[in-house]
Amino acid sequence: MGKLGSVAAVAGGIGLVALALAGWTRQPAVQGGASVTGKVKFTGKAPANPVIDMTEEPKCKAKYTAPAREQIVEVNPNGTLADVFVYVKSGLPASYKAPAPTGPVTLDQDGCRYHPHVFGILVGQTLAIKNSDGILHNIKAKGTKNRPFNISQPTTMTSERTFTASEVMVPLECNVHGWMHAWVGVLPHPFFGVSGTDGSYAIRGLPPGTYTIEAWHEKYGTQTATVTVTGSETKTGDFSFAAK
Amino acid sequence: MNWRRYADHPFWQAAALLVAAFVVIVYVVPLLPGSALVPKSVVLQYMATVLVGVLIYVSDNEERWSRFREPIHAALVEPRLRPVRAGLLVAVPALVGLVAYGQVRTTVAAPPNLRSIHPAPPSEITFRGKTITLTGLDNPLRQHAESLPAYTADGKRIYYQNCLPCHGDHLDGQGHYAPGFNPLPANFQDNGTIAQLTESFVFWRVAKGGPGLPREGTPWNSAMPRWEDFLTEREIWSVIVFLYDQTGWKPRTWEKTESGGAK
Amino acid sequence: MKADRTALLAAVLLSVYPAIRLSAQDTTAGKNVYVKWCAGCHGETGAGDGPAASTMLPRPRNFTGAVYKVRTTASGQLPTDADLMRAIDDGLPGSAMPAWKGRLSDGERRDVMAYLKTFSSFFADTSQHIAALTFSKEPGGGAGAAALKEGRLFYDSIGCRKCHGDQGHGDGPSAPTLKDDAGFPIYAADLHQSWRFRGGPTAADIYRRLRTGLDGTPMPSFSDLIDQKFLTDEQLWRLAQYVRSLSPAETPEVRDVIHAAQIAGALPAAPDDSAWARLDRYWFPLVGQVIRKPRWFAPAVSGVWVQAVHNGRELALRVSWDDRSQSPDTAWLAFERRVLETMASDDSSPPPSAAEPWPDQLAVQFPRHIPDGMERPYFLMGAATDPVYQWRWTSQPRRAVAGLARGIDQFDALPSAPAAQAVYDHGEWRVVFTRALATPDTANDVQLATGRAIPVAFFAWDGSDGEHGSRMAVSTWYFLALDRPTPASVVVSPLIAMVVTLGLGMLVIVRAQRRGGQGGQGGRGAGRRSGV
Repeated sequence: MGKLGSVAAVAGGIGLVALALAGWTRQPAVQGGASVTGKVKFTGKAPANPVIDMTEEPKCKAKYTAPAREQIVEVNPNGTLADVFVYVKSGLPASYKAPAPTGPVTLDQDGCRYHPHVFGILVGQTLAIKNSDGILHNIKAKGTKNRPFNISQPTTMTSERTFTASEVMVPLECNVHGWMHAWVGVLPHPFFGVSGTDGSYAIRGLPPGTYTIEAWHEKYGTQTATVTVTGSETKTGDFSFAAK
Repeated sequence: MNWRRYADHPFWQAAALLVAAFVVIVYVVPLLPGSALVPKSVVLQYMATVLVGVLIYVSDNEERWSRFREPIHAALVEPRLRPVRAGLLVAVPALVGLVAYGQVRTTVAAPPNLRSIHPAPPSEITFRGKTITLTGLDNPLRQHAESLPAYTADGKRIYYQNCLPCHGDHLDGQGHYAPGFNPLPANFQDNGTIAQLTESFVFWRVAKGGPGLPREGTPWNSAMPRWEDFLTEREIWSVIVFLYDQTGWKPRTWEKTESGGAK
Repeated sequence: MKADRTALLAAVLLSVYPAIRLSAQDTTAGKNVYVKWCAGCHGETGAGDGPAASTMLPRPRNFTGAVYKVRTTASGQLPTDADLMRAIDDGLPGSAMPAWKGRLSDGERRDVMAYLKTFSSFFADTSQHIAALTFSKEPGGGAGAAALKEGRLFYDSIGCRKCHGDQGHGDGPSAPTLKDDAGFPIYAADLHQSWRFRGGPTAADIYRRLRTGLDGTPMPSFSDLIDQKFLTDEQLWRLAQYVRSLSPAETPEVRDVIHAAQIAGALPAAPDDSAWARLDRYWFPLVGQVIRKPRWFAPAVSGVWVQAVHNGRELALRVSWDDRSQSPDTAWLAFERRVLETMASDDSSPPPSAAEPWPDQLAVQFPRHIPDGMERPYFLMGAATDPVYQWRWTSQPRRAVAGLARGIDQFDALPSAPAAQAVYDHGEWRVVFTRALATPDTANDVQLATGRAIPVAFFAWDGSDGEHGSRMAVSTWYFLALDRPTPASVVVSPLIAMVVTLGLGMLVIVRAQRRGGQGGQGGRGAGRRSGV
């Protein structure tokens, strides 16, 4: 239920999602060649995401054919769960040195929703906050390990900020539009991924070792798994969240 | 050179004295710590006193008196002072007319609010159905010295949950609700409130609040709640312990009379 | 070997000791001050959860996150020491935080400021950048029509109205959804009450808040707009000056007596009659009803503006007050629920009922009879034995009734009601009550006599803030005076006094000149002067 609507809605900003995805995949070379990939399954009946009342923002409303919904629980047609942040929580060798971040990660405000809704970023990497709507948004970061920020963007513009400390997750929100929420995982290493529209994620370029992998979802909380990789092998790590 | 001539002259001395007295009474006195604006009628009294003093001074010896009269006389007769004369003839009647108009024109003012700040307490009260004799009563919690810190802490919590909006963080009666009330909430830091009172008096005021005041305490205006509706006897005594602890005042104690009774 | 060790130890001690001593000195002294004067609201651990916290909205600052509203630093940056000192010294107007200057010594305030910083590790983190922004000087001409028009232009173009509303009363479409970082409901500032602005009332204060934002609240920083040349610095100043112009130039002074002038002919019965603009208006602060159960610590109406005029037969009384919502309004139901949940921990009251679509209400209270002495009924809606006469207006159904209140809980309507007309205009209610001065029911209706001080009090409820019954904002007794026109005869006695004084003056001069002409004292005085 609501999947079609969600897919249609996402399609509106698909180009930008692709851009942001490019931001994650264009990650720098790392010391290792192993991968962990997997799917995030979902069981039970998915709750319906609340419909957003956009009557105050006709410009945003015009970007949707079906009524836009919030993106709290995004269940894919294949029964998997999107927008799950999967990352290496611990296990990296002490000698591991993160590569310098290249290029910014872009967060777009389009159609009065955030694209992407859940994403990762490196400590010190630039977050480019783009307003494609051209109406007033404010973007507020409410981290506890990072200093907060709250920027006004009343027009089509891009502001840049960075995070200084590792923190999973930093909530982002717009107070003009109380339904707009995004989540960013700030990490000192590039070993993270977000489950997409097919429910799969991939963490690549891991050095050999035994890792605790955590999967985070905004409504269903966290799950962890332990994975040992050697050389350039690819291990599978599936997660499963159940409706509450 | 010129100012010297004026400074030595009794007429200008007298004028300067009157102006200086006015400035001190109206503008300097209110700045002194613990002072308020001097009411108009009091200013008038002070100025009259100063005027009498000045007149005694200038008429003290014959020569000074005639020198004092010189400028006045000059203003009345000298041809070159004709403009001054004309000005005085216009200004003085105008001033008199203005004062007279102010007296005659009546405007409605708030009636005076004569209020006894510490009215006489009753000798006993009924607290939630229990009779408590106030005369000679001490704070019962003070008999348990070892528990006093606990009572103080209790009192502090109760104060912050209940009394703070009016009596304020600093216990000076300037809480964030204080501007909405008249009379203003009691200032416990002032040496005129709890510092002068027995704890039994404070207990009565807290327990019975504004509605429990006698007529001379203007019970219809006081926003003090009747705390017996909210707090137990022990809670009220705890708050009282806290008030004295936080401000550093000592409660007034009962003087034992010869017959053994309390006064 | 041993000497080496001693030297090393000494070096270590020397390098460490000053630091330890400094922090110990500041923070133990500061801790004592904090525990005694601050912890009651801000909590022993600085988490903003002291015993008084649950009676406050906005809540006391939680120091553990080191997120501060009023700063001179960029959005998200830690405040400077001077920023913290300013909050302590001057307090935060419109909240429960008092100004501590004059209450605590300079040393105590400095010590407590140092101690506050120990609640968060951010202050010890030397990588944190703390630098006050460079603020330009206020451009002149800020009160001019052109400047205000330009300011208004940006008020609209950068979307201030989304939260603060079209006319700045804090009633924008996003206002009912606002939360602070802790999730508590937060009101968009009412820009017509600059004396309640946390960071100060001047245009310069407003400009700084626009540059820095109010961290922990929905109010963002607008500095990026200047950096990206979307706005010039001067344009931001114009916006600040426009916002300043919405409030009175001075903090309204509370005057005891409302003077109702007498006019000839019809009274302005409509709330927006142009006659009202020419009449003096009086401000009366309202505060939460915390005297009878259930108490109410989050009053939404901070005061009322009152104007009155009469024509010898009738009285028209206009009461205007800022209210973010035209209650009942379903858009505010969720906000109301959050307010009730936030204030629910008031231990003395039964838990508030669920959010309901209450109307807005206003009560104007008089004694039944104008007292001859100073005695009057209990200000908080009278008592069973001594009721008060009230006009009660509700927004839904929109009507006014008259009645007798016998305490908060009992209101008995009387058959005759005052006429009332009301408008809700972008966050402000304006209600005009009209009633004959004299009525047939002399036992219950106050008979409004001219030239008397008639006690009057005001009560207001914002339904969308969960207010009804005893959950309301109250005032104490003030007075209404129906002025009599100054009769022409009043000028007679001053005129007589003036003529008499003039005559006496002439007499004195004539007599003195006659004597002076005969070579009296004037000649002698002149002679002495020539010798000087």
